[in-house]
Amino acid sequence: MSLQNILTNWSQYRKGHEQGGFHDYEHMWGMAVDLNKCIGCNACSVACYAENNLGIVGKDRFEKGQGMHWMRIERYWDEPNLAPGVSEEFPSRGASFLPMMCQQCNAATCEPVCPVAATYHTPDGLNAQVYNRCIGSRYCSNNCPYRLRYFNFYSYYDWSWPEPLNMQLNPDLSVRDKGVMEKCTFCVQRIRVAKDTARREDRKVADGDVYPACVQTCPTDALVFGDMLDPESSVTKLWKAHQVELGKTKQHKDNEELRGYRIFEGLNTDPCVMYLERVREVEV
Amino acid sequence: MKRYSNRLYEGLKRISLGSAALLVVFAAVPGTGWAEVPNAVAPKGAHAGDDVPQPIEFPHDVHAKINQINCMYCHTYARRSKVAGIPPTSKCMGCHTIIATDKERIKKLTEYWESNQSPPWKKVHDVPDYVHFTHEKHLDRFLFSNEGMDVERVSEVCAFCHGEVKEMTVAKKVKSLNMGFCRRCHEANDGPSDCWKCHK
Repeated sequence: MSLQNILTNWSQYRKGHEQGGFHDYEHMWGMAVDLNKCIGCNACSVACYAENNLGIVGKDRFEKGQGMHWMRIERYWDEPNLAPGVSEEFPSRGASFLPMMCQQCNAATCEPVCPVAATYHTPDGLNAQVYNRCIGSRYCSNNCPYRLRYFNFYSYYDWSWPEPLNMQLNPDLSVRDKGVMEKCTFCVQRIRVAKDTARREDRKVADGDVYPACVQTCPTDALVFGDMLDPESSVTKLWKAHQVELGKTKQHKDNEELRGYRIFEGLNTDPCVMYLERVREVEV
Repeated sequence: MKRYSNRLYEGLKRISLGSAALLVVFAAVPGTGWAEVPNAVAPKGAHAGDDVPQPIEFPHDVHAKINQINCMYCHTYARRSKVAGIPPTSKCMGCHTIIATDKERIKKLTEYWESNQSPPWKKVHDVPDYVHFTHEKHLDRFLFSNEGMDVERVSEVCAFCHGEVKEMTVAKKVKSLNMGFCRRCHEANDGPSDCWKCHK
């Protein structure tokens, strides 16, 4: 598919879901993140580093914004008045956290701008990055409204995993080299295994067969992962319960109390990750 | 699996190097198999890998050709996992506590066995780290789910990518095993063409 896909579906990609989009999916992997449950512990981020061979860039480069965290926890202080009279850069109270991974947009803005078609949409509804094809133009990164693409400015493997740490590298995916863009894949290597196993056992991939590393690690089960084409999967049910649907730029809700929303869905990116708004009792 | 017979492949390679026009004529002949694949030109250049010196010069020809042992008897993981695997020394000793115990190579093997070590076999066919290749899927497609192919003829299937190993002693890489090599077969046999199926 890949290049052929992009050539035949080019206009569809560019116009997004308004004109029907690209609907020939085998799976549609999606996620739901309950911000009420998220305690900002960063375990998901650590799991992602361990699973996906993410380069450890060091403090200096991290401060320059070159961190390779595919899964990052964003911090917000949305209630600065919780501690009146105290002015801190990072107040000890009132923080809320937002785990941010690739939103696997169905009308991804990164895809049509790649000059070499190194990023494309898979039949699994994933936004794929082919490292071998990437020439490092960084168009995709600049076009991503979520800033979820990370560029290898250096050959991190030279010093990221000194002996014997190189033994913990995951053999199921490559260690990326300098000049290559990379991003969250929803742990495609695990999805691959789950699909192979299901095929060998002559059945469909069931809900719960596959979890990305972040979902597996989350101590509070704030992250839910599954196939959104499967009506019985927990992620589909959650999306339905909160009246969030794919292929819309504005969600219609019967009940204002429903917390589900997608980040920047007004930009017509059609992300596959739904967030459940954090509710806090401010009066306490 | 006539279309993949090694002789045909080698012949095609020669022809394609010699004359592209000849290839077109040849490919148009029905039944050659290559007619299905447009522009199926074998990759140029030398594909043969280096000689890989093994701790024991393992004679594939004696096992697979003379004694007709099925490839999957020793490389047993091929049918159920990503890698074909090198058999454990216990598998060698299953036969070689009785058979050919007087041979030099077997004596060396027995030494390894008795010192509780496995011979440090070297990998011959190694695809790059960014390639996801599954033996299990390919064997399923070309052997177990392939009509008219029985398990006894597994070496023909293996030979697609590994060459005629049963003519060799120590295995040697003879096919290019590059992306063009994979793609040509995937196109001819409706294999997946999604980048992420093979690239990781």
